[in-house]
Amino acid sequence: MNKTCVLIAEHYTHLKWESNWIGEFIDKYFLHATISSVRFDMKISIDDNYGKPFKDYEVDITKSSKYITFRRTDYLIKATSDYKEVTIYVHDELALKHALMNVYSSYIVYHNWGLLLHSSCVLDNKKAHIFTGHSGAGKSTVAKLSSPRMLLSDEASIVKITNEGIKVFNSPFRSELEASGKELPACLASIQLLHQATNNSREVMTKSDAYLELVNKIFYWSHSKEETKQVLNLLKVLVEQVPVYDLHFQKNNLFWELIS
Amino acid sequence: MKQYIKKSAYDCTQLDDDWIILDTDNFTVTKVNEVGGYCWTLLESKQTAETIRQAVQEEYSSVEDITTEDIEQFLDELLQYGLLTHEV
Repeated sequence: MNKTCVLIAEHYTHLKWESNWIGEFIDKYFLHATISSVRFDMKISIDDNYGKPFKDYEVDITKSSKYITFRRTDYLIKATSDYKEVTIYVHDELALKHALMNVYSSYIVYHNWGLLLHSSCVLDNKKAHIFTGHSGAGKSTVAKLSSPRMLLSDEASIVKITNEGIKVFNSPFRSELEASGKELPACLASIQLLHQATNNSREVMTKSDAYLELVNKIFYWSHSKEETKQVLNLLKVLVEQVPVYDLHFQKNNLFWELIS
Repeated sequence: MKQYIKKSAYDCTQLDDDWIILDTDNFTVTKVNEVGGYCWTLLESKQTAETIRQAVQEEYSSVEDITTEDIEQFLDELLQYGLLTHEV
C-alpha cells in the first residue's frame, strides 16, 4: 500500500492507494505536504477496479447514522458523516477526479469552510479573479487568454468564505492547465459571468441576480436540508462581499483592461 | 375568494432591496422585489389577493395603483413554483 500527505487549500489530507496509475495521478495534480507528525484533516483510501465507465452525472446518495455513501456508475464513496475518513472506489482517472471533487466539496460545506465553484480563477496583481458561466461560455478560453498570469484553477475554484474575507486557493481539480506549484492563495477581488461577444464590456450585477446566477455553479451534491441551507448561506456571504459582473468579451486578452 | 398560504416554513434572505426565497426541499431559489418580499411575509397566515392588496397599499404609497389582479398573478406564479398552497 502506498501513502502520502497532500495539502488541498488548508486541509492536510492523508492518501492511501495500491495501483501505480493512482500514484501518478496524485503526483500530477496534488501538492505533497512536507510537514511531519501532522494532524490530518481527512484520510482518504483509494481503490480501483470499480464499476463501469462514466455514463452520466447522476449520483445516488444514501445515509446511515455513521456513514454517507455517494454512488455513480464509475465511482463509489463511503465517508464518515464528518468526511474525515473516506474510502473511494473508482473505475478510471475521470472517476477519481470527480470522486475527489465530490469528497472535498462535501468536506468544506460540512465544515462551513467554503465552496467549490465551477469556474476558472486567475491571479492578477496578487488578487484573484473568478470567471464563470454556463458550459461553453469560455471559462477555459479566458484562462488560456490570461497567460502569463498564474491560474488558481481552470475548472473548479476552491473558495474559502468567512465574514472577514474571501480567499481562493490553488485547485488540484484541473481539466487542462496544470499548476506550476507556485500559486499562492489570494483574496478574491471579483467574479465575472462570461458572455462571448464582439465587444468588451463589464457591468456590475445586483447582488440578488449574482446569487441566482452563482447558485447553479456550485459543485454540491445535495442530501440534507441543513447542508443545503449552509451552502446557500455561504453563497450569500460571498455575494455580499465580492462584486459580480457580467463580462462580455472578445476572444483576446483585452478584457483585462476592464478588470485590472 | 381563493386563499393562499406558504406551503412550508421556507427561509428567506435579503440582498439589498430584493428577497430570495429558499426552497431547500427542491433546491430552488426564487427572487422577489421589496414589495414581493413584504407580500411573502404576510403569507405566514392565510391571505386572499384582496387582503394582500390592502396591506400593500397601506405599506407602500408608491404602488397605490396596484390591483387585486396584479396580486393574484403574483400569487399564482408562486403557486406554480410550489411555494404556496390554497387554503379552503
